[in-house]
Order: sequence, then C-alpha cells, then structure tokens
Amino acid sequence: MVKNNLSLMDNRFANNYVVRNVVGSLRLMLEDKATMVYFSYLVFVLFLGAFGPMLAPYPYDETLYVNGEILRSAPPSLAHPLGTNNIGQDIFSRLLYGARPTMITGLLGGSMIISIGMTVGVTAGYVGGRVDNTLMRITDVVYGVPLIPFAIVLVSLFGIGFVQSIVVIGLLLWRGNARVLRSQVLQIRERPFILASKAAGASRTRIVFKHVLPNIAPMAVLFFSLGIGFSILIQATLAFLGVTSPFIPSWGVMVRSAYNSGLMSQAWWWSLPPGLMIAFTVLATFMFGRSYENIAGQGNEEAFVQAG
Amino acid sequence: MSRVRYVAFRSVQTVVLLFLILTFLFFFFRMLPGSYADLMAFQGANEATVEAMQEKWGLNDPLYVQYFRYVTNLLTGDAGSSLQFRIPVWDFVKMKIFNSLLLVGPAITVGYIFGTLIGGFLGNRRGSKEEKYGLIPLILTGSFPSFVTAIMFIIVFAGWLNLVPTSGMFGFSNPYNSSEFAWWRPYLTKDFAIHYALPFLTIVARYTYLPALVMRTNVVEVLGQDFFYYHRMTGLPGEQQLKRLMNHAILPVVTLYPISMTRAIGGLVVIEMVFNWPGIGYALVQAVFARDFPVVQFVFFLVATFVVVGNFAVDILYGYIDPRVSVDNN
Repeated sequence: MVKNNLSLMDNRFANNYVVRNVVGSLRLMLEDKATMVYFSYLVFVLFLGAFGPMLAPYPYDETLYVNGEILRSAPPSLAHPLGTNNIGQDIFSRLLYGARPTMITGLLGGSMIISIGMTVGVTAGYVGGRVDNTLMRITDVVYGVPLIPFAIVLVSLFGIGFVQSIVVIGLLLWRGNARVLRSQVLQIRERPFILASKAAGASRTRIVFKHVLPNIAPMAVLFFSLGIGFSILIQATLAFLGVTSPFIPSWGVMVRSAYNSGLMSQAWWWSLPPGLMIAFTVLATFMFGRSYENIAGQGNEEAFVQAG
Repeated sequence: MSRVRYVAFRSVQTVVLLFLILTFLFFFFRMLPGSYADLMAFQGANEATVEAMQEKWGLNDPLYVQYFRYVTNLLTGDAGSSLQFRIPVWDFVKMKIFNSLLLVGPAITVGYIFGTLIGGFLGNRRGSKEEKYGLIPLILTGSFPSFVTAIMFIIVFAGWLNLVPTSGMFGFSNPYNSSEFAWWRPYLTKDFAIHYALPFLTIVARYTYLPALVMRTNVVEVLGQDFFYYHRMTGLPGEQQLKRLMNHAILPVVTLYPISMTRAIGGLVVIEMVFNWPGIGYALVQAVFARDFPVVQFVFFLVATFVVVGNFAVDILYGYIDPRVSVDNN
C-alpha cells in the first residue's frame, strides 16, 4: 500500500529529481526495522501535536478540586494517570497539550535552520571565491559564540516569547548545515555532469536547481531531521531557563515549573514525563539521521559534530 | 613557510581576531535596547539619580570615547565594574570561573578518555554484536538534554537513594566554608565531593558519546588502510599494532576536545542552574537579565578567547602530533 503510494508519487513527479531522490532514500531507510520505530515515534508525536488537545481529559489550565480542596501534587492515579502539579492541574492533559508547541518548535526551527544553512552553503560552495570566503568567515563567527548565552542575549533583544525563542534558534544553528553542505557542493561541482551541462550552455541558476540541489537533497532531509531535534532541544533548554513564554504549555515549560516548585525530586511524575518526552523526540530525530548514514555511508559524524 | 614563521603569523592573526571580537562585543551590547539605567528607572529610581549614575559611570560620553576607555582599561587588566554589585568584574567572576572550570575540565576529560577507549574497542570489533549495540547506551545519554539527565540523577541518587545532596556546592555543615580558612580549603572535603558527584556525572554522560562515535569510525577507517595491512602482514605484536592504530585514529578526537570544552562551557548554564552550582554560566544569564553589560561583555570575551586560543593551540599542536600535516600548503 505504502509502496503503491510512493510509486504513484514517483510517476507524478517523474521529472522532479529532488522529490525522486528524497523519496527514494526515505523508502530505503524505512526498510530498516529500527528506523521504522523512530519514524513511527515521530509520526506519533506529530499526531499528538495535531490531536493531543482533543484527547486530553481536562483542559491544561484547569485547577482540579476534590471535596472543595485543590488537588495539589497528587501522585498518579486512575483519574489522573500522571498525577497533578502543585496548583492542581492534570499533568497528563498538560503533556498532551505540550506536544503541539514542541512540534511547532521543531518544524519551524528545523525549516529555518535548513533554509538558511542551505542557502549559505550552496551559495558559498557553488559561487566560490570572495563570496565563499565572506560567507564562511561569517559562519566561523557564528560558531565562535557560545550558543545558549548568546541565544539568551538575542531573546532579550527581541523580547521574551515563544516565537522569538524559535527564531533565535534558527538564526544561530544554521552554521553546521552551511559548512557541511558547502563541502558537499564543492565535491559535486567538480563532477563531469556539471561540466557537461556548463558546456551545453546552462545558466548558473539552472545548474544549481537542476543538478546541485537534487544531489544534496537527501542530505538536506537528514539536516532537517537533525535540525528538528536540535530546535526542540535548545528551545526546551531556553524554556527551562525561563527565556520563553511561560503561558504556552510546552514540555520545557512544564519541566521548568516542576523545577521552580522545588518538588522536582519528590514529584517525579511531574518532572520526568515531559523531560523524557523531549529526550525521546530529540533521540528519534537523531537516530533517524543516523540511519541515513547507514544507507549513504557518509556525512554522519561530520554532520553530528557540525550540527550542534 | 617555516614553522616559526607559521606560528608567528598565526599568533598575529589570533591577536587581531580577538581584538575584532572585542570591538564587535562592545558595540553589539551598546546596540541592544534596554540598559541598566532603564532597569533602575523601572525599579523606581528617580530620574535625577539615574542621570547622576549615567554621568558617574561615563555612559553619557560619546560611544568612541567609551570604547577607547574600555580598551585601554582592559589592556591594563581592568575590565570595569559590575553594575549590579558595584565590585570589579574580575573580582566578581574569578571564583565563579574557577568553579565552572573545576566542573567542566575534569568531566570533559574523563568523558573523552572513556569515549575514546569505548570507541576504539568497538571499532576494533567491526561487525560483532558489541559493535552493533554498544553505542546505543552512549547515544541515549549523549542526546538526552542535560537538564533531563540531571533531573533523572537527582530523582534517583538524591531523592530515592538519598546518597547525595540535591544541589549546591557546599553543605551548611562544611566547617571550612568561612573566611577564616584559605579559599581552597573547603574544596578539599568530603562535603564538596558529594556535591560534586552529580553535576560531574551529568557532564560525563553527555560528552562521552561524541569521542566514542568519532573514534569508532576512525579505527574502522585506519584498520582498512594499506599501511595497517602491512603491519599485520609483518606480524607486528598486538600491542605495537594497537599503538600504531591509536596514533592515527586519535587525531580527529584531539581536534574535537577543545570544541567540546567550549560547547560545554556554553551549555553549562543549565547544569549549573539545576544543581545550583555557583558557576559562571548561571552568573552570565543573571547578568544578561540585569543588563549588567560589563560582566556580560567580559565573560563573552573570555569564552571567545578560549575558543580562538584553543583552535590556535590545536593548529600548532597538530603539526607535532601528526607529522603528515605540513604548514607548507597553508
């Protein structure tokens, strides 16, 4: 069934190499059972992001009462599978609501990272010369800044908020993508088919879009996946430090309020589940990236080193 | 280019780069909206007081005058005063930097030693079960956000097992934690050691993964190279083979070490916050929130210096540990 769908897509986009290469490598990756698990987990979190609030038994900000008293820090029970927090909110519901901001963070941050990184990397790699030098020195400077403290400075520049914290992540984390994609493009542009197409009189734009991009597309998908992971990770860290809107119930904000309440080690049902959800989501994107290495046999270590 | 000339060239380059970073930081922080004076006014200080303070601190002078004053003062070792605490920046940050380095230095080093050993071991057994599954626990600990690892450690070791305290650097009962004793005396107690254990473990857990991953790949790569095949053919003893293998495979790990170090300093903020460790990361965040620019600027400059000098040192050292790298083609 899945195969049929994919081949349908193949037919429809028969002339689009970008789609063909990406779909082809995805299909290869999903043949591996472990990869299927990570992929399913990511789909599951996406599903939670879309429908979680509808599944939640209570509104995330409703204070629950039992016999007229606020149900503070109750341990897990049947009515509240993950207990309640110190102001009587159901943690399971908050966890379900929290999937949406987390997925938005990942997708928005990941797309920002890959679009800036790919633009800089491909431009630097293909155009070369002075442009390459300038862009790479800028990348070096971005590498030199300590990530979290600088993100905090930038967030306080833009004003503390949910979207701001994501934009800042996008503005800082593209550096690794740019470096690795540049080195990829440097290799690709020396290949004979580029020369052939130059000889045939193709313009630079045409070569980049028709020949270079399709060849780095699978790697871009890998970076998108890693970018989702890193965005979620850094945003959760910023949320934990208090540099995001506390009114959007993301998982990072949940961990922060557990920490702030001073009940972190007693109320494990409060601090652990959101933390673990963040950790597993990040892990799934990373492992998904790793399985790319297994089929492509390249780029992985460098990607991991550079991506952070 | 001879090596001496290369070192000289790179030294000059490093100094120029540091100066550029300093300039950038100075103007960048002046460009940010919001100042300490705004914050004072917000907290209810009247306009005349704020104005007097601005004048006293020289914040009303033109920017280039302030810049010139800052650079000349810094060259004489004076980084200005913290606006929040009214003490010289250096006095404010020195013990905090020490506390942070005390945490990061040993932890990263231990993580790298473990990681290199594990990676080398796994790479040697390419294709075996251990090689296939051995990295999984490391990937787990390596990709967990450090605050999640920290919280898990706290819940298990401090909450359930009650072995160590949840946070802080010294307990109230530490008899040496007063000004009667030398500053280093409280660090040499069991009290410090048990406070040190959890943050240390958290960092080790986070930073074992990268060297292990890189080392494994390198070992596999070197094992496939011709010169190694030659060593095997000539019947070189096992330890000698291992030595030659390690000499080659360890090189990329060495370059990664300072990178991890600087990255850990950046990421230390979170660990310091969870464990309430009086380090520089958390102080930096507080200073950013308080718009205490002399402190922020100085700490950023220190971190940048660390990165730049670290890269410089690796570039220079690389020629010694890997004779194949020559400075000629540079």
